[in-house]
Amino acid sequence: MYWYEEGKPDGRFIGNTKKYSIYGSHYNSTIEVVHEKPPERKPEEFIFAYGPSTGGLMESVGLDILTPGEKITSISVDPTYKLRKIKVTGMGIQDALLRIERINGFHSASHAICFLRAVEDALQIEVPEEVQFNRIAQIEAERIRSHLLVIQKLAESAGFGVPVNQLSMIREKVSRIIGTQCGHRYFFAVNEIGKSRFMIDKLQEKLLEVIGEFRMISEGLMESKLFLNRLQNNGINRDPESTGPAARGAGIRHDARNELPVLPYEQLDYFPIVRDEGDAFSRFMIRSDEIFQSYDIIKNIHASKSIERLDYDLQKMGGTGMARIESPSGDLFYSVEIEKGNVVDIGMISPSWRNVLSFRRSMEGNIFTDFHFNWESFGIWISELGVDLS
Amino acid sequence: MISWLFLAPFAVSVAVSIWNRKAGYVALAVSSAIILAGSFIHFDYIDSFVVIASLVWIFSSWFSVSYGEKYGRWLAPMFGSTIFGMVVILLSRNYLEFLAGWETMSISSYVLIAMNRKNDYPPFVFMAFSELSTVLIVAGAIYSFYLTGGTTIAFTKVDSVIPLVLFTLGALVKMGMVPFMISEWLPIAHGNAPANGSAILSATMTLMGVFGIVRLMLLSPLSQVFGVIVIAIGVLSVIFASLFAYVSEHAKMLAGFSTIENNGAILAAIGFYMIAQTAILRDFSLVVIVIFSLSHSLSKTGLFLGIGASGKEHFLDEGLSSSRFSRIGEVLSTASLSGLFPTIGGLGTWMILEMFFMGASFLGYLGIVSIIAGSLIAIGEGFATAAMMKAFVFTQLRNGKARGMKNEHAVVFSIGVILILLFILSPLFVGPEFLGGLPSVFVFNGFTIQSRFAAADFGLVSPDYVFGLLAVFSLATYAIFRKPDTRSVPVWRGGREFTEDYTPYAFSNNIRLMLKKILRPGIGERSQYMAISDGFWAFMIILTRSYRKVAKGFTLGFMNSSIRWYMIYMILAFMIVLLLAILI
Amino acid sequence: MKNGIWFLKGVRKGVKTEKFPRSEPVEIARWSTEITGSGEANCPTDAITNGKWDMTKCIFCRRCLPGYEPTGKHEIFTVGEKMHQFRKSFFIYPLDSGACGACNTELHALTAPQYDMHRLGIFFTNTPRHADAIAVMGVWTEGMEEPLKRAYDAMSDPKMIILMGACAISGGIIGEGALKSGEYNVAIAGCPPNPYTILAALIRARGD
Repeated sequence: MYWYEEGKPDGRFIGNTKKYSIYGSHYNSTIEVVHEKPPERKPEEFIFAYGPSTGGLMESVGLDILTPGEKITSISVDPTYKLRKIKVTGMGIQDALLRIERINGFHSASHAICFLRAVEDALQIEVPEEVQFNRIAQIEAERIRSHLLVIQKLAESAGFGVPVNQLSMIREKVSRIIGTQCGHRYFFAVNEIGKSRFMIDKLQEKLLEVIGEFRMISEGLMESKLFLNRLQNNGINRDPESTGPAARGAGIRHDARNELPVLPYEQLDYFPIVRDEGDAFSRFMIRSDEIFQSYDIIKNIHASKSIERLDYDLQKMGGTGMARIESPSGDLFYSVEIEKGNVVDIGMISPSWRNVLSFRRSMEGNIFTDFHFNWESFGIWISELGVDLS
Repeated sequence: MISWLFLAPFAVSVAVSIWNRKAGYVALAVSSAIILAGSFIHFDYIDSFVVIASLVWIFSSWFSVSYGEKYGRWLAPMFGSTIFGMVVILLSRNYLEFLAGWETMSISSYVLIAMNRKNDYPPFVFMAFSELSTVLIVAGAIYSFYLTGGTTIAFTKVDSVIPLVLFTLGALVKMGMVPFMISEWLPIAHGNAPANGSAILSATMTLMGVFGIVRLMLLSPLSQVFGVIVIAIGVLSVIFASLFAYVSEHAKMLAGFSTIENNGAILAAIGFYMIAQTAILRDFSLVVIVIFSLSHSLSKTGLFLGIGASGKEHFLDEGLSSSRFSRIGEVLSTASLSGLFPTIGGLGTWMILEMFFMGASFLGYLGIVSIIAGSLIAIGEGFATAAMMKAFVFTQLRNGKARGMKNEHAVVFSIGVILILLFILSPLFVGPEFLGGLPSVFVFNGFTIQSRFAAADFGLVSPDYVFGLLAVFSLATYAIFRKPDTRSVPVWRGGREFTEDYTPYAFSNNIRLMLKKILRPGIGERSQYMAISDGFWAFMIILTRSYRKVAKGFTLGFMNSSIRWYMIYMILAFMIVLLLAILI
Repeated sequence: MKNGIWFLKGVRKGVKTEKFPRSEPVEIARWSTEITGSGEANCPTDAITNGKWDMTKCIFCRRCLPGYEPTGKHEIFTVGEKMHQFRKSFFIYPLDSGACGACNTELHALTAPQYDMHRLGIFFTNTPRHADAIAVMGVWTEGMEEPLKRAYDAMSDPKMIILMGACAISGGIIGEGALKSGEYNVAIAGCPPNPYTILAALIRARGD
């Protein structure tokens, strides 16, 4: 294992797989207990049940909001309503990959690439640099689209029709660009070990128009007091273990991109953007700035004419590997164990797991009308949370 | 002395009730009917209170016939002797007789409350406040005795307002209103008695206070300052008691708070009598006092008996099933307490508001007091409507519905009917000086009740036409459209099973959250929230507890919580007072 | 206020809505369209048997390359009984029974100005009570079976069930389909279905 080694609990806690507790660059086989506060119900409080199936939520999730009427005392998130059981052990890597891509379709590139990096780590495969940069381009394009959706949702919660539609339009444009670059709008069946079907030539030129339009919209939103007031001081997150834009919005310099050389970000002039307010507004700002930053990263990737197709004889290979990358919502971790080309064990930690905990803490004491802004600002995907991967 | 003969049937009833519960209650109802009939022999203003009280007694005795077996054999005698004490008060001609009745009533009701105790403090609290009120009344009596030069203890005209002030304060304590302080002893005490007991405590014991004050007021010089103070106490009680009623989680305590609220309104009317400058306004306020007392006493009886029939104490308790009759009865009682037509309470509320608004126009600078009082009472009535809705929904509608009519349901239903009947008949007893008509629009003379400050009228209402039009339009609508078609569909709750219930707590939580600073909710028994008004109440509990600690040896050695000893103490006290009365 | 009022900003952008369905799709990702070809196919979901392509099973994994290729035709859906009642207004309640998030965002994309389903009288609704159709996305999951049934029961007649994506129809590669065949009116193929496909299917389902 190149990026991870066994060791005592040290550094940042990423989460637990079924077998290990994962830290910044260590793993430990004694599982750390994560304490979740059970809500205490006072007589004046009742449970406002939101979901699993309701308008305003993109995915099925059961939210139990404990409230005496307006203030939210505590909130619990039940992602198990749409719990999918996905079995990849015993399968070849390509078959497993088809399923990994569909854990979270919207962040499919991140999941597929992180899984592939773990596999490549296990099999000790050197991947050509062009492929690595290609993967960065995919993840950053995905990040742009993901952040656009979050900002669109924030504007939607504020009832801003024009920016919602304009953001929706440029999100669709990004989807179409991705669709033409790789034949599929969600990066399905694009990545393989050491290979990619994503074309990065002219990607930057195509994205330029989108970024220009986004600049106009984000400036407009920043000018709107109505919009800012809804976000500022809403859902203040001080969770030291939070991840992704939520962490960077809370002044915590957590970013897998410059922590582990899983992908060669260090060659692309990358630095994490950090703000320290910790509220929904800072998460909005982080996402807004990261859209421009992702575009700059893509700009720095020089397209190589052709990617040499390498073939690997997977049937005979084996080993254990782990990888962590920065998905649009935060730390995404995969661990795999491979024997004779088949996956025998797999572990996954999604950023949504950590974000839900941070969300729950930040929601306490806020009021009902704050809920949607805060929920959307964390960028939680239930599909990667409500999944039983084995 | 002839009037004392009316006392005899009550004494017999108490004796009978020791022997047989049901027979005792029937005898009580009959005795009440006798005194009701008797009051019309030489009817004067004071006799109105006899009419009101005896009506309440008839209904609550009738209700008791099938109620309260779980409270044992002493409930009926205590119930009877409480009424007996009140009869003594109503028949009293001097302070001593009044006090004799007052003590008999207090001690018997103390035992009544002690019967249902789940924790210790309600009866003790009640007793502490009863004794406080007795002390004040005694002080008033002694001062009156002193003023007459030691010649008589009878109710006589005096030149000083002091006896009235002392007496009023004493009566106020009994009515649940310590000056400028909302005390909770009354709701707690009344809320913890058996339902029939609560009914007579709330409806008639507080009426005795009103009776006493009015009695003395008619014999005393009038002080405007004291009048304003009385209005202020009354109005504050209306506002706060209606708020507390709204947030109360205990059904009978809700009704208890409502009693304070109504008494506050009556007290404000008494205060208005003191500040009114013309005879016609004074007369009007006397009518208001009687009408409002009548509506309060009867509707409150209906409410308490309805709650009793529902088998609930806390709203969340498992209750007994309700019936169409108990629902109609209680909805009419609560409508009356909310000041809605077509019940006598609607008329009472209309009159009291008219009275204060007339005062606003014709009392000079005191008009400001009058308009503020009127507005605050109107606000209080608004809260009261919400509180009453809560009481009705969670004691009747939320209980299952069964066919047939139990005795309790029949009583509650009859009270509802009586409330409408009184509304219809109200032109007969407001007095001819406030009747009128508008023949030009076919409202004939004698069919409108008019609020008057002089010869001209200020406002008017015609109960019979209100009732008639309501009835005609309702029946016509029903005849044309019949029962509405309804379709019930399951509640959509995000795809989950519907498990949360709309609780009585949630019903009033809006006010609880908005007025957090004023209401200062605290946790009561069974983790139900109850309102604690201020440090005063917490202090009172500490005081009564420590008193109890001191008296523990005495209690264990002598009283040893046996009802027999209470009985002996009560009878002794009564006899001594009666003896004194006869001697003097 | 550099840019002024949002309304003006919106007007300044001009009309971005495409002519679809009156004209062909402007730009469509190839691997969400009909697939034809011949010969052997290494299909993980048995979508291709004997050279015949079963759109309900296809997850567009490209393993059938080079024998099979996408044609670019977006109309890959089946519509049972058409319901003309919904021609003027068609309210859809999206229900996620176990989707990966891609179907959700593709359905959501229908509100984007490029497609603007509102101009066609198609709307999303927040409760099944107001819905004419329910759009089910994702595989069958134990937890969502009851909400799905409740949602269907909560809808008033006439009502329609639309299955979106290979997962919902056949289970795709992840699991079982959300409903059995015969329990739904409209099946929209794709993994995930392209917004053009969804829009065309919705228009067809209401009989246009």
